[in-house]
Amino acid sequence: MSGIEFEGYEALVSELRATAPVAPDRLRQRVLDGAPAPRARRSKKRRLALVVVPVAVVLAVGAAFVHGFVKSGSHGASANTPPLAGISSIVSNGGVVRHQVEKRALAPVNKQKTLPSTYSAAGDNALQAAVPAAAAGSLNALRIPRNRLVHATASLEVRVPGRSELSKATNQATQDVAALGGYAQSVRYSASHDGGGSAVLSLRVPVQRAQTAIGKLGSLGTLLSQQVSTQDLQAKLTSQTSQIGSLKRAIAVYVTALQSSTLPASQRAILQIRLNNARRSLSQLEHARKGTLAAGANADISLVLVTHKTAAAVTHHKEGRLGRLLGDAAHFLALEGIILLYALIVLAPVILLVALGWWILRERRRREERLLAGA
Amino acid sequence: MAAPTFADVVAEDLDAVYRYLVYLTGDRSAAEDLAAETFERAFRSWRRFDPRRGAPRTWLCRIAHSAAVDWFRAEARRQRREETYSRDDAQIEESVFAEGLSPELERALRRLTPAEREVVALRVLLELDGPSAARVLGISATACSTRLSRALQRLEEEMSDVRN
Repeated sequence: MSGIEFEGYEALVSELRATAPVAPDRLRQRVLDGAPAPRARRSKKRRLALVVVPVAVVLAVGAAFVHGFVKSGSHGASANTPPLAGISSIVSNGGVVRHQVEKRALAPVNKQKTLPSTYSAAGDNALQAAVPAAAAGSLNALRIPRNRLVHATASLEVRVPGRSELSKATNQATQDVAALGGYAQSVRYSASHDGGGSAVLSLRVPVQRAQTAIGKLGSLGTLLSQQVSTQDLQAKLTSQTSQIGSLKRAIAVYVTALQSSTLPASQRAILQIRLNNARRSLSQLEHARKGTLAAGANADISLVLVTHKTAAAVTHHKEGRLGRLLGDAAHFLALEGIILLYALIVLAPVILLVALGWWILRERRRREERLLAGA
Repeated sequence: MAAPTFADVVAEDLDAVYRYLVYLTGDRSAAEDLAAETFERAFRSWRRFDPRRGAPRTWLCRIAHSAAVDWFRAEARRQRREETYSRDDAQIEESVFAEGLSPELERALRRLTPAEREVVALRVLLELDGPSAARVLGISATACSTRLSRALQRLEEEMSDVRN
């Protein structure tokens, strides 16, 4: 402090030094007590993170496996129920009867009549022979009533070994349907170079021959699934026929009455109006009856032909309970991942801002600490 | 010579840091809090402290300076927020800087700016050398010397005014 000279300087410095404040004891104690605290806090945070993160991961995976276990159990329950002649469920609702055949129930039956043997043996003759077997094996319970007017719809999924068999089976299906008096409304065929492929046929067959057609189509390969629905139209037709008869009789009465010369003009006008209404209603009812008859005339059959490769890809995860469990768990995990990803995307701007702020503060603190350490 | 432990540093320099902070802030309770914070910060970076690069006192004063700057900022914000803020007269009258200090010197110290009191504390009370005090203040040694000279002259003038 050389160079600082003024009167009383020494006295001033002496007084300042002599009366310098002293840190109170409570501060000394506070400093000594509080010193280890920051390190303890930091380690606590780390310990918390080390516990929370694995627990969250275990919970996520555990939830996925529980979900997979429960789901595979529910599948398994239906699969383990012994099928009644290949029918796993029958639903009846307001005149609609539906027979659904699960692929699992039919698989053992159809393994005995796979396409290669029937095809390679003798073509159409062998196929014809296979039809009764198929009908006897799985379709007896699905009989479409012939003594009543019904609207029948069926959907079949049939597996064939390869692409060439797919083509043959597609052609065979259209020929079989044509031979039974039906036709193919639409055919969509697709095949890939790796041997996979599928064909979707929308077919219409006279309802009396629908049973035969279903049997033939089902024997084009291995039947994977089959669903047949019938809707009774007989009651509707009877009602329409009855109404038409009533209207015809009413029209005859009106016509007779109108031919009378003693009828007052006002009543004549009323009768004329009623006659016109009855004729219009008759026309509508006749049209509706024609529609009912048309609906009952043909059965709609939807046939899906798939190659072995495509079918395997589709049904791969349904081979066993463990497979289903793993598949469902994987799906659930994927769902969790999607949710997490979605949340991250939505929260990304906020997270980035927070991370940036945290990084700036950290850098500032570190720089400060470096400066302090170097001071 | 063995490196000092943190407890040694506390025992050795707590008074110095406290004095420095009392002079800088002009508020004993704030100085206490800031001293505690200073040692807490010091403890966090204790592993990185290299005694060969400087004395612990200089290092601690630098930390205390940083803590005090933060406190001044917070205090300014608080004063802006509380428009009615004013120093309590009773508190002004009581001794802030030291017990036994003459009233003239006490009042004169109070009239100095915190920066002037700071350099006085560092150079006179803590007896840091010029370069060390300059490092704490973040200014050059020359600027530190000039600030000290002006602070002491102003202190002397203020005391003369009080006497007259």
